[in-house]
Amino acid sequence: MKDFLESVLRGIGTGSVYALLGLGFVIIYKATRVISFAQPAFMLAGAVLVTYLVGPLGFFLALAAAAVLTGGIALGVERLAVRPMIGRPVFTVAIITLGIDIAVRVVVNGAIGLDVRQVGDPWGLKVWKLPGGVQVEQRHVAMVLTTAVLIALLFLFFRYTRTGLAMRAASYDQEAALAQGVSVGSVFALSWALAGALAAVAGTFAAVGGSVSESLWLIALTALPVIILGGLDSLPGAVIGGLAVGTVQELTATYQGSVPWLGGNISVVTPYVVMFLVLLVRPYGLFGTREVERV
Amino acid sequence: MRNRPLLRTSYNQELALLDTTSKKVAAGILLAVGAALPWLVEDQLLQLLGLACVTAIGAIGLNIVTGYAGQVSLGHAFFLAIGAYTAAAIAGDPDARTIGFGVQEILIWLPAAGLVAAVAGVLVAPLATRLRGLYLAIVTLGLVFIGGHVINEWSSLTGGPGIGRQPPAPTLLGYDLNTGDAFLTRDQKLYLLMLVLLVLAALAARNLARSRVGRAFTAIRDRDIAAGVMGVNLARYKTIAFGVSSFYAGCAGALLYVGVGYFDPTTFNLLLSVQYIAMVLIGGAGTVSGAILGAFLITLLPRLIREVPSFLPFISNSPAESPNAYQLETVLYGVLIIVFLIFEPRGLFGIWIRLRNYWKAWPFSY
Amino acid sequence: MKRLGMFALAAVMTVGSLAGCRGADSTQDKGSSGAKSDVGITKEPCPKSEHKDRGCIYLGIISDLTVGPFHVLAVPITDAQKAFWKRVNAQGGIGGYDVDAETYVRDNKYNPQTHNEAYQEMKGKVLALAQSLGSPTTAAILPDMKANNIIAAPAAWTSAYAFEDNILESGANYCIESMNAVDYAKEKFAPKTVMAVHLAGDYGDDAAAGAKIAAEKLGMTFINVKTDSGTDKQAGAVTAIVTQKPDLVILTTGPADAAAIVGGAAQRGFTGKFIGTSPSWNQGLLATAAAPALKALYLQSSPWKSWASDTPGHKAMREALPGVTPNDGYTSGWVWSYPMLAALKKAQADGDLTRAGLLKAAKSLAKVDYEGMLPDGAGNYAGGADGIFRQSLIYNPTVGAGGPNEIKLEKDYFTGSVAKDYKLDKPCYEKL
Repeated sequence: MKDFLESVLRGIGTGSVYALLGLGFVIIYKATRVISFAQPAFMLAGAVLVTYLVGPLGFFLALAAAAVLTGGIALGVERLAVRPMIGRPVFTVAIITLGIDIAVRVVVNGAIGLDVRQVGDPWGLKVWKLPGGVQVEQRHVAMVLTTAVLIALLFLFFRYTRTGLAMRAASYDQEAALAQGVSVGSVFALSWALAGALAAVAGTFAAVGGSVSESLWLIALTALPVIILGGLDSLPGAVIGGLAVGTVQELTATYQGSVPWLGGNISVVTPYVVMFLVLLVRPYGLFGTREVERV
Repeated sequence: MRNRPLLRTSYNQELALLDTTSKKVAAGILLAVGAALPWLVEDQLLQLLGLACVTAIGAIGLNIVTGYAGQVSLGHAFFLAIGAYTAAAIAGDPDARTIGFGVQEILIWLPAAGLVAAVAGVLVAPLATRLRGLYLAIVTLGLVFIGGHVINEWSSLTGGPGIGRQPPAPTLLGYDLNTGDAFLTRDQKLYLLMLVLLVLAALAARNLARSRVGRAFTAIRDRDIAAGVMGVNLARYKTIAFGVSSFYAGCAGALLYVGVGYFDPTTFNLLLSVQYIAMVLIGGAGTVSGAILGAFLITLLPRLIREVPSFLPFISNSPAESPNAYQLETVLYGVLIIVFLIFEPRGLFGIWIRLRNYWKAWPFSY
Repeated sequence: MKRLGMFALAAVMTVGSLAGCRGADSTQDKGSSGAKSDVGITKEPCPKSEHKDRGCIYLGIISDLTVGPFHVLAVPITDAQKAFWKRVNAQGGIGGYDVDAETYVRDNKYNPQTHNEAYQEMKGKVLALAQSLGSPTTAAILPDMKANNIIAAPAAWTSAYAFEDNILESGANYCIESMNAVDYAKEKFAPKTVMAVHLAGDYGDDAAAGAKIAAEKLGMTFINVKTDSGTDKQAGAVTAIVTQKPDLVILTTGPADAAAIVGGAAQRGFTGKFIGTSPSWNQGLLATAAAPALKALYLQSSPWKSWASDTPGHKAMREALPGVTPNDGYTSGWVWSYPMLAALKKAQADGDLTRAGLLKAAKSLAKVDYEGMLPDGAGNYAGGADGIFRQSLIYNPTVGAGGPNEIKLEKDYFTGSVAKDYKLDKPCYEKL
């Protein structure tokens, strides 16, 4: 029981990182109908920026600065490489984002250099003991709290600001939004910037308690089943999907020893298995909008 | 008829494999050059060209499901892997530590690899009949991850990551293609084999595209609901598309590493799938010649890029410094794909169309 | 039409740079020193050489330089090797030749296909390979190397290389190294259960197999746990350690993974010992959150002495690489170069610097002068698989020892009881 509870707590912690990543994907998808495969690179870029900035600024300021900077990079990339592709097939754009991912990742790897880099977080591997001997890692609590705050801010932003309203309008119908005076171009730019910033925060928290190495970008690929699971265009879906996948993954990691024939580290592919199972029942994910079919 | 190339007097002309005289001439010349190459260029380049031919077979396969039938699949690496391991197991050395049955006859292991992959494709197809667009793409991506887990774990078949195993060594009706002899070197033999197979694969694909099945694919791509209303059985044709595409992938996978002589299960990853998608898009989706062009470009690109740093003496070739020539190579690969797709979204085939239209009206083109 | 022009230009450049025509192979000629030579040796001086009166021996390097999983190690290895050959040239070169290990350096991205392409490109221009990094990658070129009598220094410690004449491996392989680690632990902590936590492949499987052989021989229980590369993928390994509570864990992963495993296990109450094989450590780990756990639980086995050691070879290396951040990648690259140097010298002395001559010289080496970096008896290629080197060391890398960058040596070069009698009849990883 203790194992089970601890696994769930860890799962919710890592799941909140997936949720942040998933939110980034969904925000870009809603605005531009494209899945940005450049998110892994932005996530790594954000974490690496924190490792450089944490010295002079301290962890929290460095995190904020890295989020802003990564958002800026994402904005620039959108302007240069993605904006010219408006109206082109989404898959061409998706492959372009993959090209971006390759290029950015090489540069970031160069910046990581040969040593193990730290994000310099205040939590490390410290734990709190709950009654009943259950341990909860402070970093996981921090992840959940940060994610909760960011989600609340996003909610307020989309619900109550003019820009947020414009973004929602553009995601329903670009032409209608354009006709109402919404600058769809800046909606695109803003959604990329937002997603970049979220990826930076997620990347940093993925490295909290550990270190930044180039294999970190693989975590972002776990966010792909997360968004499919939740539904490509559903923000709450991304959050719930992220938490679910994180929990399932940690539980599998804990209990995979009892099914050795599945092979070592089956937990790494569980997100995809969960995705398959959900899609067999609900082809548009748990909360995705069912496409209206007409000829 | 000679001077009026677009005049058709029967459906057979409209549907011919090579419908214009210039296409026949061009195809003939290309074939002749391709067949003459083994006696013109170095072995190392032949090996690369042979690889490009095999890659083109795989790209044609992906083009059938993605270009013609419009079902974007990121799972191509999974089917390539199935083909590669089926062939390697059938042709493998029975005494080695990895599974092998010692049947080196290419007429057996090549079709077998294709068929096993095709069966896998048919099994996956029900997903495709339920899902569309990006959902389908990411689900097929899931195949790559789950399949990757299986082949990494199944080390009695694959040798295990970091160790790997040998691909099949081809013999054709008892004639050993895997070693050089007095007439031809190994690379010459393999290149000719790959070239012949590519021509067969390309002809078969073109033939499929002009048939009833091909027209059904196009209808599904353009609007699947409309196609369904017109009486195209969506489930059936999507299944056929996945099956045929996977057959091609299986054959390509079986041959892909024959030239190199070694492969490792970690090769079949997301990047491989993405490269194939890039080939189809860069070549021009929905055309066989486009897929071939794209495959050649993507295969030869790294080789070309490796030449670039020698023209840029100010770039450091010390890997410890940043930026260095090796980083530049990898970045260029990504950037070239981006630039190409931005400026030439219809792919290499689009360039060809423009060139053709320019020269058609020459000297009055503008 | 401007755009078409650009494409035409690109196409012409493509053809130009690729058009390598079929031609005759280069002919044999006598070098300035009178030794026979065929491929990869020119009478013209090396492109960057200051010794204009010397010829040039070209060595190729194919390594993981940008995005592959081992680039963090490969980059210092490559750098050290370049510095090594520069030093050789400064000391007079080899019989009237300088050695060039700079012109043909290629990135393999740890992909057999790319590795093979790079190899095919440089094959006609180099005498041998100063470095061929990775097992599957090297396996992809090995048949061709054998057919053409090309030798290579590896950048791996897999036991499979004991069976290859064309590969000049150095030091104890992973298998022997972890046998020795288990032996050392038996003396020191008397463990009852040993767990190997390792990546897949020749690296991890080889070390795990060594641990298994040693554990069975010494009457301990052995548990095998495979993991994947990536700090986020260690949850399964940590759980396995915490629930099965082995007394000793032989760790064969990358540095970041090692920190995640040791840190995670300690935090969940694990108190057994870890011994990591050589590539599992990086000094930067001491700044991570896992540092206290590493300090309490972690030891490091190593095939040779670390960067700051006091031997003529280490000193020469430090002088040749001024201003670099100490990293044992450099040490490894430097050590791996000695057998190639010895083979070249021997071939030159025999008057036969052809590929076949170099291979013959390499095969006949019964010992190599590592300038003290490895003890006497290392580099016995004449002895085949029985001649493998069986000594390794144990460090405590978390504790400093006097000099700058020096780490505490727990046990100097030793051969454990298992490794001493072990007969290597096939690559260890096949026995896991």
